[in-house]
Amino acid sequence: MTQLIQEIARLDRLIHEPARLTIMLILDGVGEADFLYLQREGGFTQGNLSGHLTKLEEAGYVAIEKKFKGKVPLTVCSLTGKGKAAFAAYSQRILSVFQSSGAADYARP
Amino acid sequence: MKNDSVSLNPSPGRRAASYWFIDGLPDLVSGLALILCGIAGLLWRMYAPSSWNRYYFVPVGLGFIAVFWNSRAILEFLKSRVTYPRTGYAQPPDESPAPRPLITLSLNPRRPVDDNVAYSRTWAVMVIWWYCIFSLDAPLERWAAPVVMPLLAATLYAVNRKSESPYQWWSALILALTGPVLLWVDLPPLLRPLAPLLLAGAWLAAQGACTFVGYLRANPCPQATEGVRA
Repeated sequence: MTQLIQEIARLDRLIHEPARLTIMLILDGVGEADFLYLQREGGFTQGNLSGHLTKLEEAGYVAIEKKFKGKVPLTVCSLTGKGKAAFAAYSQRILSVFQSSGAADYARP
Repeated sequence: MKNDSVSLNPSPGRRAASYWFIDGLPDLVSGLALILCGIAGLLWRMYAPSSWNRYYFVPVGLGFIAVFWNSRAILEFLKSRVTYPRTGYAQPPDESPAPRPLITLSLNPRRPVDDNVAYSRTWAVMVIWWYCIFSLDAPLERWAAPVVMPLLAATLYAVNRKSESPYQWWSALILALTGPVLLWVDLPPLLRPLAPLLLAGAWLAAQGACTFVGYLRANPCPQATEGVRA
């Protein structure tokens, strides 16, 4: 059990927060998306999303850049290499925590 | 006319793939492209010298290749003005899954369950195209459209049934019924071989137009040109 608790303590807290986890999950599946798509898909308010994106960008997990689609400017977010690696490590760790604790059985129908 | 498959796909990648079709523009553009190809073939049949007349499939084919090659650019242009300011931008889906290191030795490989990959656009247009090539065959003559349309409708419905952009059964039925209807309507011989292409194009464009109108109603024009900035 101690080892399990240690594993939980080693989870990346930056990703573990639900809103940031949602952002990482969406960007991991989509590839890249703009602010409006993330806001609608995740059900965020503007300020909330902006704050979480700033934290993820400061950590180097998310890249935010201005792009032009046609002649329309868009603020596009995507996971960086570091972000992808961190998300993969987080997913692996939390999955192993659930599996070793037996909590994964609850998810089975 | 389409199922709201966005809400049925839980993974973000599949939702993004469905999102590409949410505004109906892919179907609308493909449908209009098929109609234009059909019109090009018709004009060729009407005005080309008699010795060249039987090569009417050449402008149809060239038009199809030109539109198919540029359809992504056309759609990006339209979406950047219509969709992205309203509901945001998500990376357009790939048309085939990314190559995997493990080679699956199977004729029916499993579809990716969570990738941002789309199949239906390619499927729909290619299926229509192959059936219409079949209908250009001269011996079928008056029976071309009545035979081809139900087969085309059934195939379109079947191949898109589990895609990110499935067609409703009644919509496919409408397409299928255009075939028997053409048994009663005596089309001019000039139009007969191109009728399936024009009908399928009109059907696809109508699907897209209905979805497009529904999308515009649900998402009115935003005030800012760039949506919301981070």
